Amino acid sequence: MARLTLTGIGKRYGPTVALSRADLDLHPGEVHVLMGSNGSGKSTLCKIVAGSVRPDEGQLTWEGQEISIASPRDAAARGIGIFYQELSLAWHRTVAENIALPRLPVRAGLVDRAGVARLAEAQIAPFAEVAGDGFGPDVPVSHLRPDQRQLVEIMKCLASDARVMIFDEPTSALDRAQTARFFDVLRGLKAEGRSIVFISHRMDEIFEIGDRVTVIRDGTTVATAPLSDTSQERIIADMVGEEAAVSPAGEDNGTSASPVAPDVPMQGTAAVDPGVDAPARDRAGRATDPAPRSADASTTAPLLQVRGLTGARLRDVSFTLAAGEIVALGGLHGQGQSALLRTLFGAEPATRGGAELAGAPLDIRSPRAAIRAGLAYVSGDRGRDGAITDRPILENTVPIHFLRRRMALARPGPLSARAKEALSALATRYAGLSASIGSLSGGNQQKVVIARWLIDPPKVLLLDDPTKGIDLATKTELFALIRRLAAEGMGVVLHSSEDAEILANADRILVFNGGRISRELAGEERTRFNLYEAAYDAGPSAPPAEGAA
Amino acid sequence: MTRSLLERFPFLPALAILAILVALNGLAEPNSLGYRAIRGLVSTYLALMLLAVAQSFVVFAADIDLSVGAILGLVNVSVVTLMQAGGGTVPVVLGACIAGALIGLACGVVNGIAVAALRLQAIVATFATSILFTGLALTVLPVAGTPAPTPYWRTYGGRILEIPFVFWVLGVVLGLIALFARHRVVLDLLSVGDDQRAAFQSGLPVTAIRIRGYALCGLFSALAALCLTGDTASGDPLVGNAMTLYSIAAVVLGGTALSGGTGSMLGSLIGALIIALIGSLVFFLGTPSQWQNLVQGAAILIALMAGVLVSRRVRR
Repeated sequence: MARLTLTGIGKRYGPTVALSRADLDLHPGEVHVLMGSNGSGKSTLCKIVAGSVRPDEGQLTWEGQEISIASPRDAAARGIGIFYQELSLAWHRTVAENIALPRLPVRAGLVDRAGVARLAEAQIAPFAEVAGDGFGPDVPVSHLRPDQRQLVEIMKCLASDARVMIFDEPTSALDRAQTARFFDVLRGLKAEGRSIVFISHRMDEIFEIGDRVTVIRDGTTVATAPLSDTSQERIIADMVGEEAAVSPAGEDNGTSASPVAPDVPMQGTAAVDPGVDAPARDRAGRATDPAPRSADASTTAPLLQVRGLTGARLRDVSFTLAAGEIVALGGLHGQGQSALLRTLFGAEPATRGGAELAGAPLDIRSPRAAIRAGLAYVSGDRGRDGAITDRPILENTVPIHFLRRRMALARPGPLSARAKEALSALATRYAGLSASIGSLSGGNQQKVVIARWLIDPPKVLLLDDPTKGIDLATKTELFALIRRLAAEGMGVVLHSSEDAEILANADRILVFNGGRISRELAGEERTRFNLYEAAYDAGPSAPPAEGAA
Repeated sequence: MTRSLLERFPFLPALAILAILVALNGLAEPNSLGYRAIRGLVSTYLALMLLAVAQSFVVFAADIDLSVGAILGLVNVSVVTLMQAGGGTVPVVLGACIAGALIGLACGVVNGIAVAALRLQAIVATFATSILFTGLALTVLPVAGTPAPTPYWRTYGGRILEIPFVFWVLGVVLGLIALFARHRVVLDLLSVGDDQRAAFQSGLPVTAIRIRGYALCGLFSALAALCLTGDTASGDPLVGNAMTLYSIAAVVLGGTALSGGTGSMLGSLIGALIIALIGSLVFFLGTPSQWQNLVQGAAILIALMAGVLVSRRVRR
């Protein structure tokens, strides 16, 4: 019956237990969803199936026979293909070469270029309309946008033509049209009798495409059920275990009439209606009513004033941010939200315009100057912007402290104490300060990165999709923390790829379109409907947007 | 927006610098562009060109080989000693050449195992093997000076069908470069150099690919040694050590990134020619001997900077 069965899989990295007793069975012709908070062991389990990680214990059975998978080559030979969350692309090679690389067509030792082109063309075809500008078989991967790179990784996995395909968060950077097309492809694969493992942090996607779900908690499989027999609440309860009380607000969400709400179940209904939003803020101990906040924002001098900022991906962006305010940047993917944050932080050059922080001109020419001025930048792209890979957690926690205090010599004792304090404020789970940051899960790595900024609290916190690839429970914790920091007087600029996060947490929403702020939503206007309308609205009402700020 | 010209042909800036150097040489001494001068230049620098091509194989995979010069020296003395011992007849000369190539290949495999299989740091491991190979060379031939047999250097300096032998060799090298550019070995090496973990996860045999890179590097270092032996017509155990860093400079001048993943062998060959022409330009300008090193070093720096500036501008 089952094509591939994993029983009692365990894997340790030094003191960190990645998997303790994981089970999974895969049937032909199903999409099997793997759920679990970050650090629960999903990715490790996938890598074990794909042969890039070897288990310490447990059994793998392929069509009734016990097997071991020694390497990715071995897995490929058996008919197992994988989409890696962190991508496995060769940066300087072209799209076609990347797609063809694992099974390179060779004629007499020479690369068969026509064969490579054919192979790539077959995989690109289904995504041709949704891949976007600048995508093509001869484009080097380094030229592509993140969503396009993710599509290449998907195509590379699909090109393996494997009987078991594993997709570890394949949709995290994709837009709606790309995801819809990908799901069409998945349904086709399912109809061909292939077994698909699918991981996503978006609940709506899981219920849309999945047949069965297996929930992993702390490296142990706790439940497997058909998705038609379970519910969002049930899955989340399984994921968080006895701490199921984390999200009382989510309980009534299953009955919510809104079909789009589910991506953040904790605040699902709150997201739709700012009125219901209020209790969530109460719990976090901040102002319930957004109206007075805007009032005092206009009477006191703004903390951050941005004037006419223009750059490669920005067009004349102006706005103000008051102390204690959370301003969110919304809109479709890549409309300049990230560029604004990076420009303010000095990581991307501005051609015109500038900013003032607490009345003084802000030097936005380098991140170093921005940090000294009191800005903090947390990116969802931990690999590029956050984690100092292969270095201990301590070293990952203190660099900003070092810079801000202009320290030259490190005294491990006092530093460790400060680091521990900041890490525990975020409830970071780690084995010890000397362990490598790589030993932590994505969510805990992100906490370390955030803790780095909190040793000396900044004036303005710039959050660039900070919860990308982080599990639901950690997301809730992070936003509670962000609201607490704002309540203490920090100004927060938040960009998130999840609209629900924006709706649930922002005092004001600046909607971006083509590098401009096309609309500002405040107070009662902050509804999902308005946000979508503004995001998609590139039509006749857009031109006067220049004055919107 | 497909690949830019520079991504397709990373050696273009190097080609431009080469053209400028050719022009400067012509201005300084019109005879330097004559047939005889060019033949002499190729004859002298064929060894460095091959050494740069050899170095490219490992640099593509983000590795490095500091022992290419030592391999060259070891093969040089081994070949000369074998030829001498065998009496210098044609079959002996051919046999010695084959033996030399195999020695180079073996050295490369040793490097590959040390770096890829034993996972030692490439810079330190190949530095250590370079001392080892030099030590071997010194036991084979303790003092420089044993002459190569006459038929050998006569052939190297001679002509076939009225075309100088060195031009034939250059033609064969260009053919090999064209072949390798399309061969999966190079694509594998570039993929490994691009991102070693990604290559492993894509199912590529990373360790085997890196060892293959070092083996090819050793083999081409041996071919460089055969050319050098033809040019100098004698054995010298320490002849290659100074050439190692020149080979790396040539690779970089040719537009190949030391971080791996991108580059071209033709670029490395052009890089070697740039170094050659800088040398001859310094000579033709009549630079006093005590100033020659200084001027040559400054010129290489300028060439490097020009290459970087051109690439940066084009990429933008």
